[in-house]
Amino acid sequence: MVDVGMTLEMVEASQLGMRALGAALAVGLTGIASGIAEMTIGSAAVGATAENRDVFGLVLLLTVIPETIVIFGLVVALLLLF
Amino acid sequence: MLRPEQMRRLLIAAPKGEIDTIIRELYRHNVYHIEDFVPESESPEALSIGHPLPEASDAASALIKVRAIENACGIDPDNVEVREKLPASKVRAMIRTDLPAILEEVEGLVGSRSRLEARQKEHEQRAKELEPFAAVPLDLELYRGYTRFTVFTGHIAHDVVIDVPHEKYFSDKVDGNMIVVVVQTEHREQVERTLLDVGFQVIPVPEGTGAPADHMRAHADEVQRINGEIAAVNGKIASVCDRHTDFLVACDELLTADVERAEAPLRFATTEETFITEGWVPDDRADRIQEALERATNGRIYIEELEVDDDARVPVEYENPSFASPTQVLMDIYARPRYAELDPTLMVAIVFPIFFGLILGDVGYGAILLALSLGLRKFLKGDEGRMLLKVLSIASISSIIFGILYSEIFGYALPWPALIFSRHLNIGASAGGHGPEITGLMLLAIWIGILHITLGRILGIANARKFHHGRHAKKAIIANAGWIGTMWGILLMIWAFYAIPMMPDLTGFPVAIAVGVVLLVAGILGIAQENPLELVEIPTIISHVLSYARLVAVGLSSVAIAMVVNYIAIGMMIQPQLEAITPIGVIFIIFGVLVLFMGHALNTALGLLGGGLHSLRLHYVEFFTKFYKGGGKKYNPFGMKSKFTEE
Repeated sequence: MVDVGMTLEMVEASQLGMRALGAALAVGLTGIASGIAEMTIGSAAVGATAENRDVFGLVLLLTVIPETIVIFGLVVALLLLF
Repeated sequence: MLRPEQMRRLLIAAPKGEIDTIIRELYRHNVYHIEDFVPESESPEALSIGHPLPEASDAASALIKVRAIENACGIDPDNVEVREKLPASKVRAMIRTDLPAILEEVEGLVGSRSRLEARQKEHEQRAKELEPFAAVPLDLELYRGYTRFTVFTGHIAHDVVIDVPHEKYFSDKVDGNMIVVVVQTEHREQVERTLLDVGFQVIPVPEGTGAPADHMRAHADEVQRINGEIAAVNGKIASVCDRHTDFLVACDELLTADVERAEAPLRFATTEETFITEGWVPDDRADRIQEALERATNGRIYIEELEVDDDARVPVEYENPSFASPTQVLMDIYARPRYAELDPTLMVAIVFPIFFGLILGDVGYGAILLALSLGLRKFLKGDEGRMLLKVLSIASISSIIFGILYSEIFGYALPWPALIFSRHLNIGASAGGHGPEITGLMLLAIWIGILHITLGRILGIANARKFHHGRHAKKAIIANAGWIGTMWGILLMIWAFYAIPMMPDLTGFPVAIAVGVVLLVAGILGIAQENPLELVEIPTIISHVLSYARLVAVGLSSVAIAMVVNYIAIGMMIQPQLEAITPIGVIFIIFGVLVLFMGHALNTALGLLGGGLHSLRLHYVEFFTKFYKGGGKKYNPFGMKSKFTEE
C-alpha cells in the first residue's frame, strides 16, 4: 500500500485530513443519534405539555437528556483537533 | 438552611360555638396547614365532616358575579399591579351597593356586543350568498316568477353546450364558477342531466330585487358600520373595567377569603357539639398562634401537640437565605424535598450560576441576559416567573464574571489575555494566538465532575439515616461509601498508570495501584452488600463524570458560533466593502449588519438554553440521583396574604 512517491509533507497533510474527517464523523454521527432520540421525546413532550402546562419544565429537561450523546461526540472531536 | 423548616403538629379541639372565631384567627395568622379530615367509617358514632358556615352560599354567589365581570373584562388578579389597598369594610359596603350596578352595566354592554356580532355575521353571510350572482349581469327579480320557464343557478366545473333553446350566462370569475341557464320547462329534465354530468351544484337565489352587486355593497357597508359600533362598545367595556379594576380585584380577594373561611369546616372532623382539626405550624410561630387562639376563645379551646411519626405527611416549606430562595423554583421543577431529608437548594443556588458562567462566559451575552432579566421583571407578574428571572440575573452576573476571566465579548477578545483557560478558537483569517486550551478546560470540567459527584455521595451518606432505620441505614451508608471508594479507586489506578496534567502524578508510586485496587474491591463489595443489582450501574461512574465535559463542550460551541457570525458578517461582508464604498457595497454592509444581529440574537437564545438547561441537567441527573429523593408535600397555610385589601 505504501506509495513510494509520497513525501513527508504529503503524509502529514493526509494525516491532518484524516483527523479532521474523524472529528467531523464524531460530531455528525452523534448529532444524528441525538436528533433521533430527541425526536420521540420531543413529540411526547409536546403532547404531555398540551395535556398539562405544568410539566413544561420537566419535559424540556427530558428533551435535552440525549444531548449527552452529541456532547461526547463534540468532546472527542475537540480532542482530535487540538 | 440545608433543612426544610421545622414543623409542629397541632391538634385543635373546641366547641362548635367557637368555630367562627377560631377559623378567623387561623386565617388571619396564615400559618396553619390544615390536614384534611377523612372519615374512616359511616357509623353514626364516628366523627363526621363538618358543614360549611351559613355565609358560604352568599359569598360564593357574589364571587361568581365578580369572576364573571373579571372574565368579561379580561382581568386576571395575578397580573394586576397593586395601586392602593382598599379597606375591607369599604369593599364590603361597595359589594352591597355598587357591585349589582357594575354587573348590570357590564352585562348590558357584553350583551349588546354579542347582538352586534350576530348581526354582523348575518350581513357577512348574506354578502357571501350574493357573491356568485354579482358575476352575472341580471337583477334578482329576473330569476323567479316564471310559469313556462325553469331557471338553473349554481356552481359548475366548466362551461357546457346545451342543445335546446335556452339563455345562458357563465362566469369563471367566482370560486367554483357560476352558471345561470333558463330553459322552457318541458326541456327541464334533459338540461338538468347535461348540467349534472359536469358537476352542477344548485345555489338558491337570494331574496330581494335589483342588482346583486348593489346589495353586496350595502351589506359590506353595514358590516363596516357594525364594526365601528363594536369598537365603540369595546371601548366602553374597557373604560368601565379600567375604572373598576381596583375594586373588582379587591372584591375577588375578599370574597375568596370569605368562601375559604366558610368552607373550612369541610376539612374538620365534628361531633354533635365539638369540632377537631389537625394541622401543621412552623416551629417558630407555633407558640404565637396557640396563645392567640386561647386569647380569642377565652380559653374555650384545647390544643395538643402531637408527635411527628411519618415524615411523608409533613408539609414542607423551604428555609433558605434570601439569595438562594429564587432557586427553590428550580427545586420545585424536580421535586420538593421531603421533610426529613437534606434540602440541597443552597448548593444548587451556589453551583448553578457557576456552571452557567463556565458555559456562557461572555461579557456581552451576560450583559444582554442581565438586561433582559431585569427588564422582563416589569412584565412578568407571576411569582414563579419572577423567581426564574432572579435566578437568571444571578446566572448572567456569573456569566459576565467568567467573561472577564475568559476575556470574551461577543466572541471577540477583551483587551487582556484570558485570565484562566483561553477559549479563543482559530476562526477567520485574522485568527492568531495559540488557540484554545481544550485539554486544560476538559480536565477542569472532569475535576468539577469528580468533586460534585463525591459531594453528592457524601450527602447520600448523610441522607441514609433519614430514609432508613436500623440495619438498612447502615447498609445504605456503606453502599454510598462504596460508590465513593470505587470512583476514587479507579482514579488512583488511572493516575498510577498515566501522568495527566493538572492531576496528581502517581506513576512513580506502585503503592498507589495497590491502594486503588483495595478501594475498588472494597467499594464494589460495599455496593453489592446493599443490592447486587446495583453493580450494573458501575459504568455510570465514568459516564457521569465525563458528562461534566459538557461544561466545556457546550461553551466552546457557543464561542464558535459567535466567532463564525463575526467572521461572516464583519470579516467577509462589512470590512471589505468599507475599504471602497459603492452603492452595492452599502447593500452588502446593511445585509452584514443584519446577519450580525440575527446571529448574535440566535446565539444568545442558544446560550441561554444551553447554559441553563445543561447546568440544570447536571444537577438533576448527575448530582441529585446520588442522594435526593424528593416528593415532599407543599406547605400551604390556611389563610391569604392580602394584596388588595386591608382590615
